[in-house]
Amino acid sequence: MDKRLRKAPCGFISINHDCYIIEVNDTFLEWMGYKQADLLGTHIESLLKPGTKMIFHSYFYPNINFNGCVEELFIKVKNQAGDEVPYLLNAKKVKQGDSEMIDCILVQMKRRIDYELELRATKKQMEEAYIEKNIAFEKLEQIYLEIEKKQIELMEINSGLVTISNTDKLTGISNRRFFQEKLEQQVELYRKEGKPFSFLIIDIDHFKKVNDTYGHQIGDIVLVKLANLLKNIMHPEDILSRFGGEEFTVILPATNIEKAISFAKKINQEVEEATWQETGSLTVSIGAATFTEQDTETSIIEKADRALYASKENGRNRSTHFSEL
Amino acid sequence: MQNVIKRNNVKVMGRGEQTILFAHGFGCDQKMWQYIAPTFAMNYRVVLFDYVGSGNSDITAYESEKYNTLHGYAQDVLDIIEELNLQHVLFVGHSISSMIGMYAAIQRPQYFDKLIMIGPSPCYLNDTDGYVGGFEKEDIKELLEMMEMNFAGWASFMAPFALSQPDDAKLTQQLKSDFVSTNPRVAREFAEVTFFSDCRSKLPFLKVPTLIIQCSNDSIVPIKVGEFLHKHIQNSKLLVMDAKGHYPHISQPLETIEIINEYLN
Repeated sequence: MDKRLRKAPCGFISINHDCYIIEVNDTFLEWMGYKQADLLGTHIESLLKPGTKMIFHSYFYPNINFNGCVEELFIKVKNQAGDEVPYLLNAKKVKQGDSEMIDCILVQMKRRIDYELELRATKKQMEEAYIEKNIAFEKLEQIYLEIEKKQIELMEINSGLVTISNTDKLTGISNRRFFQEKLEQQVELYRKEGKPFSFLIIDIDHFKKVNDTYGHQIGDIVLVKLANLLKNIMHPEDILSRFGGEEFTVILPATNIEKAISFAKKINQEVEEATWQETGSLTVSIGAATFTEQDTETSIIEKADRALYASKENGRNRSTHFSEL
Repeated sequence: MQNVIKRNNVKVMGRGEQTILFAHGFGCDQKMWQYIAPTFAMNYRVVLFDYVGSGNSDITAYESEKYNTLHGYAQDVLDIIEELNLQHVLFVGHSISSMIGMYAAIQRPQYFDKLIMIGPSPCYLNDTDGYVGGFEKEDIKELLEMMEMNFAGWASFMAPFALSQPDDAKLTQQLKSDFVSTNPRVAREFAEVTFFSDCRSKLPFLKVPTLIIQCSNDSIVPIKVGEFLHKHIQNSKLLVMDAKGHYPHISQPLETIEIINEYLN
């Protein structure tokens, strides 16, 4: 072997076609702690541990045979002490006369490998952090979903409660509380946008007598029936409520005096014409009022009340508008 | 089903009556048969192919669920046989492909006349029951690590946040180096399925006549493994070649051809 090759700053090994070592330079022997006699004639695989041997087999061997060369194969080679030393291997098939051999150049990768290991350790940490982050994120998402579910449940419960608190238990129509809210809204709308509205108080004639004669149970049935009847006459935007006892109220949005009067008369008629099996007959008296600029939430109720009083005074089963007084 | 011929890069040559189907092992493709296939093509119809995920197969056909067991690969073999309407197949498998061929032949024995296993092993790992496969779990870990260090795209692929994987065709074109696995994920999964498979319990189910070719000094598979296979495959013949290595069809093609011919005739 050429002296310069013997001392070249890289390992040089020549192997025959069957991968037995035929030449090795001093540099490699020095690096690895071997003597020439240790290596000459031994199989290259005797320097490799099983993992490396496998990669050597699966990639070095087919490639050197089919392509005639191998470039930049990373392998680990056992030194005299049995420790694995990382190398970068280039190999080339050469022909000398009849025989074929493979020249291998080995460059140590110690520092390079340390650097690479550092990178890989960092990479691994990042991977772990990434996975942890994902797990945490998934947990958060789970929690978020649970909160969302709970919120929906709460909202459902809440809206159920609102409905309950706004409903008259007996008749199933809105109660006085709800009526009060709606009245405030109407007044506000009137003040803001000048939208007129009217208001009716409906009172069953001689209801006390119904209770006294047929009992409270029948009284209740009559109240429910009347509520249903009234509900059916209403326009979708009208707000019917049970005001208390045998009194019902109706807010009639966008309704002037004339319309309010005719609607009230329609109610009188419908109630009178309905079939009342329990009592034989039933009539209502109605007081109507239409909101004016001077009015308040209280005053309009008072006005309707006074009109109702007039209807009662004048023989019941009729309607009176406050403006007629 | 998609075109199997294209999917497995199937090549048919030769003018014989009977078909020899050559199946490559882990880390290789059909190129590994180039020293012996042409000789057989003079008397046989020779079929070469790449497993899905290897060589020039259609990588898009790769599914982890299918190919994370040897059965997925065996299905490739059966698909090719069915697609080409092959009968009386002589199957030559190298290394892990011997076991893949065995699975195919257990599933559809009627397709096969003979199996020829080159450097087979039913289990590469040593077992506590005394079986010596030649490898410890640590060695396989080391192998996977070496692959990671050697294949472009492998290291970054393993990172769960590697978002910008160049597509495989481009990668293969770009890097002309020897050490470009078609796809890091596929290569890793093939390595895992190869080295962690244990086919020992299946051996008695193989009824097709089988030739086991082993190198006297196989660096991957211990000599005892050949004997183990011979003992557990009923209709088998064990032939130990006087050779070093795991690729006699590359290192000693003439002798390998002779041995196969002798068995076939």
